[in-house]
Amino acid sequence: MGRIFVLIEHRKGAIRDITWEMLIKGRELALRSGGELTALLLGYQIRNLAEKLVQRADEVLVVEDEKLSNFNGEIYQRVLSKLISEYKPALTLIGHTSFGMELAGQLELPITTDCIDLCLENGALKAVRQMYTGKVNAEISFIGAPSYIVTVRPDVFPAEGQQTGRGEIKYLSLPIEEIKYKKFIEYIEPAVGEVDITRADILVSVGQGIGDKKNISMIAELSELMGGVLACSRPIVDKKWLPKERQVGLSGKTVKPKLYLAIGISGAFQHISQIKGGHIIAINKDPRAPIFGVADYGIVEDLFKIVPVLTSKLKEIKAG
Amino acid sequence: MDRKSGGKYKSPRLAFSECDIFFSGSAEHSSFSNTGAIVDIIVCVKRVPDTAGATIEIADDARRIREDGLVFDMNDCDKYAVEEAVGLKKKYGGSVTAIALGTEDVEDILRMCFVTGCDEGIRLTDKAFQGSDAVTIARILHRLIQSMKFDLILTGAQATDDGYGQVGSALAELMGISHATLVIGIEILDGKARVHRELEGGMEEVVEIRLPAVLTIQTGINIPRYVSIRALMKVAQKEIKVLDLKGLGMREEEVGESGSNTSIERLFLPPLTKEMEILPSDPGEAATRVVKILKDKGGLV
Amino acid sequence: MDGEQSLTEKYELFGCIQCGRCSAGCPISLNSALNIRKLIREVTVHQVLEPIYEQGELWDCTTCSICSLRCPRGLKPHEVLISIRSILAEEGNVPATVRDALEETFKHGNPYGQIRSKRFEWATDLKIKNFSQGDRAEILYFVGCAPSYDPRLQEVSRALVKTFTQAEVNFGILGNEENCCGNEIRRMGEEGLFEMLRADNIKLFHNHEIRHIVTTSSHCYNTFKNEYKDDSFKAEHYTIFVAELIQKGKLSFSKEIKKVVTYQDPCFLGKQNGVYEEPRFILRSIPGITFVDFERCRERSLCCEGGGGRMWIDASDSGQRLGEVRIREAIALGAEIIATACPFCLLKLDDAITTIGLADKIQVRDIIELLAEAI
Repeated sequence: MGRIFVLIEHRKGAIRDITWEMLIKGRELALRSGGELTALLLGYQIRNLAEKLVQRADEVLVVEDEKLSNFNGEIYQRVLSKLISEYKPALTLIGHTSFGMELAGQLELPITTDCIDLCLENGALKAVRQMYTGKVNAEISFIGAPSYIVTVRPDVFPAEGQQTGRGEIKYLSLPIEEIKYKKFIEYIEPAVGEVDITRADILVSVGQGIGDKKNISMIAELSELMGGVLACSRPIVDKKWLPKERQVGLSGKTVKPKLYLAIGISGAFQHISQIKGGHIIAINKDPRAPIFGVADYGIVEDLFKIVPVLTSKLKEIKAG
Repeated sequence: MDRKSGGKYKSPRLAFSECDIFFSGSAEHSSFSNTGAIVDIIVCVKRVPDTAGATIEIADDARRIREDGLVFDMNDCDKYAVEEAVGLKKKYGGSVTAIALGTEDVEDILRMCFVTGCDEGIRLTDKAFQGSDAVTIARILHRLIQSMKFDLILTGAQATDDGYGQVGSALAELMGISHATLVIGIEILDGKARVHRELEGGMEEVVEIRLPAVLTIQTGINIPRYVSIRALMKVAQKEIKVLDLKGLGMREEEVGESGSNTSIERLFLPPLTKEMEILPSDPGEAATRVVKILKDKGGLV
Repeated sequence: MDGEQSLTEKYELFGCIQCGRCSAGCPISLNSALNIRKLIREVTVHQVLEPIYEQGELWDCTTCSICSLRCPRGLKPHEVLISIRSILAEEGNVPATVRDALEETFKHGNPYGQIRSKRFEWATDLKIKNFSQGDRAEILYFVGCAPSYDPRLQEVSRALVKTFTQAEVNFGILGNEENCCGNEIRRMGEEGLFEMLRADNIKLFHNHEIRHIVTTSSHCYNTFKNEYKDDSFKAEHYTIFVAELIQKGKLSFSKEIKKVVTYQDPCFLGKQNGVYEEPRFILRSIPGITFVDFERCRERSLCCEGGGGRMWIDASDSGQRLGEVRIREAIALGAEIIATACPFCLLKLDDAITTIGLADKIQVRDIIELLAEAI
C-alpha cells in the first residue's frame, strides 16, 4: 500500500482543525496498511506551518507560490492533480469544508464526500457517510482503482493523537499557471453582534421544531429563567426568526458552554459538531433525531409539552 | 484535470479564447456589452423525500429507504437556486432552463420551476440511471448541457437525501469551466460574476469568477417565493422535454451503477454514539429532572 | 391584470358610499395601519392595484367580517381583501411564514408541518371509532389541525370525546385521513389549495358516507357550512350539537364549577354564523358557574386576532394586542375564566395572559373543557 495524502487546510496563517483530524485518521490508515503519510501544504508564506506539520507526517510536501495565497480552488485543483498523478497516492484526504467542497477532484478516480469513517481492506477502500441529514448511515464501496479521493467530515475524528516523530519537509518547485477563472477578492469577517453565544456558559438553543416565530419568545423566556443565552440552529436563521449571531453550527458559531439545552433541534451534524464539550440536554419528539446521539440527557417528547412545565417550575424556584 | 487539455467545453455564447486574460475585462469576447448583461441560466434541481419530521425505515434490500408514507418536495437548496436564477433573469434579462433527473414524478418540481419563472424544463430519465453516484449524475447532466447555450449553471449546494454536495463541482470539471460552491450572493459583472461564498464560522469569501460558470447555492441567499396551486395548474400543460439514455447518446455502461466509481453497499441506522440517559417523558417529572441537572451542573444558582 | 376591474365588479364596489362604518368597526384599526374604507376606495378608484399589493398591513386583517356586517350597502369588504391576498398568493408574493404554512398544508395536510401519520396520536389511548379503519358511525367528529397536534388544544379534543362518550353519541373520527379544512388557507389567499382541500375532503366524506359533521373549531365549521357547497352532509359546531344534547337530557352534571365566567364570541361562530345563544346556554347549564357577558359581546365582540391566517402572520406593528385588551376587560368584569369555543381564540388569549403576566388572576378555557369537568 502506497502513500496517503492529506491536503492541509489553513486560512489566514492558521492550520484548521480538520487538518489535524485528517492527519490522525491518515496515520491510523497508514499504520494498518504500511504506507506513508504525506501532508500536502499549498500556499504562500507558509513555511512556519510546515514546521508544525512535520511532527505528524512522514513527509510534508510544500508548494509555495504567491498564486496559492488565499486559497483558490482553481489553482489548488491543478496543483493537487499534478501531485496526485506524480506521486500516485493510494488515498487522498480532503476536508469536507467550504475549502474542500470547492475542489472538484480527479473525476476519473473514485471519489466520495463527507465521510465519517474510512477503512482500507486489502487495499480496497470502504467509507461510511451519512444520508437524509444524518438519519441514515451508508456504507460506500469503490471500484478497484490505484488511487481514491475522499472528503472527510469535520469534527468526526479526534484532532489529538500520538506524535510520530519528525518527518521530512520537501519544498517542491512546480510551475504554476496563471489564474484564469477565479480571483480572490476579500474575506468578510462576521458582523459583531450584541450577543456572544461563544462565551455563554448556558445556551438554550432552539430549532425547527418550534414551528413558528412567535413561539421563540417561549424559549427566550426559558433561557432567561435559566440565566442562559438564546441560540438556534440554521433553519431558524434562514427563516430570519433570529439573527445570524445566534446560530450554532458550521456556518455559524462554535460554542463551548457548560450546559446546552437543545429544544426542537433534530441535530444535523453541521449543528452538533459545533457544540464543543459541556452537557447536552435534548428535547425532541423524534426518538431517532440525531441530536440524541450526542446528548447526555434526552427527553423524547413534544417540546410544547415540556417547556411550559419547565418554565413554570423555574419560576417557582425563582420566586423562592 | 488540466483545463487546457481536458476542458473540452466552449461556451457558444462566451467564446473565450484560452489565452484570454480573465481580468482584462475585454468585452469583445463576452456577451456582456456595456449596454447591460444578459444571462442565460441553467438550474439543476432534485426531487427528494421530506424527511425532516419523518421516522426513516430502511428497505429490505438495505440499499434504499422505504419511501411509502414519505412526502416529496424540491430539495431545499435547489429552491433557493431557482429563486436566484429567476431573480438574476429579472435583473439582467435572459432565460432560465430547469433540468431534473428522474421518473415522471419529478415533473412536479419542474412545474414549480415554471411557476417561479423558469422558461423551459427538461427531464432526463432512464431505468439505467438508477444507482448513479454524484459524478455519474454530473456526467449525465453534462451530456445534455454541453450542447446548450448558457452563462451560468446554478444548483443547490447539497441535497438533503444523499448529501454528496458534489454534482455542481463535478459538472464544472466535466464542462471545463469554473465553479464556486456554497454561494450566498451573486452579482453579474462584465463577463464575470462576483460571488460571496459562505465559509465556516460566519465568515464570507468574495471571489470573482469568469463566466460561464457553475455556482452551487446555499440556503439563505434569498427568500424563495410560494408556488401556488392555481399557478401550478396554469403550467400543467406546459411542455417538458424528456430525454432518455438513447436521446442523450449515452451507453448503459456509462451510467447507473456500472458507470459509477462508487456505490452504496448498505444503509443502516446510525448507532447512538454516546450513552444517553433518557429522562421521563412526563412533563412534570422531566422538568424536575432537568432542574436537578441544571443545579448539579452549576447551571442554576 | 383583470384584478382591478373584476374586483370592483365582482364585489359591486361602485355601491360604496365611503361612509366609514367598516373602518370604524374594524378591530385591527386599533393597532394596524390597515384602513378598510380607504382600501375599498383605492381598489375602486385607482387604475393599478400594484401599490396596494405593497401594503404589508393587508396581512393584518383577521377576516373577522365586522366590516361586512356593518356595511349599510351590504358590501363585503373583507372578501375584497381576501381576493387581493389571493392575487398576491397566486404570484407567490406572501409573507414567508404564510408560505411555509401553505407548503406544509400541501405536503402534510396541516399547516404545522406535522407528519400525517401522527395526526391521530393524541387519541391512541381513547377508544374511538375510526372511519379510516373501516368503522362506521352516525356522526363524524372533525377534530381539525390545531386540536390534533397542539398539546394544549388536544385537551379540548379529549374533553369533546369525553362529552360525546358520556352522552352515548355514535361518533367516529377520520384518524390519519383527516385533512386541513382549508378555512384559513382560503383566507391566506390560497384559493387553489383551498379548492383542492375541499375536493379531497368532500370525496373523503362521500367515501365514508358521512352525513353529519361536528367540529371542534368554529373555523372548520364555517367553511364546511358556507364554502363547501355540498348538501350531502350537515356541518355543526360542537356548541350547537352539545346544546341539543343538554336540552334532550343526554348529559347529567355531577360537579359544580364555582367560578365567574365570561365568554369570548369567536368571530367565525358569532359574526359569521350567528351562533350566539348555544355557547351561552351551555355555560349557563353548568352548575355553579356565574355567567357575565362582556360589554362588547355578540356581533360587537372584539376579535382575538387569530383568524384570517393570522396564526401564521406576524402583525405589521408591535402595538398592544387585542387579546390583551380582552383579558383586561375580563378582569375588570370580575371574571376568573374566559370561556371560548374556538382553538385560535384560546391560544391567542392564552398568549395574552402570559404576555401581561396575569396567569394567577384569569384562565382561558374552552367551553367544552368546563362542561367535561362538570359531568
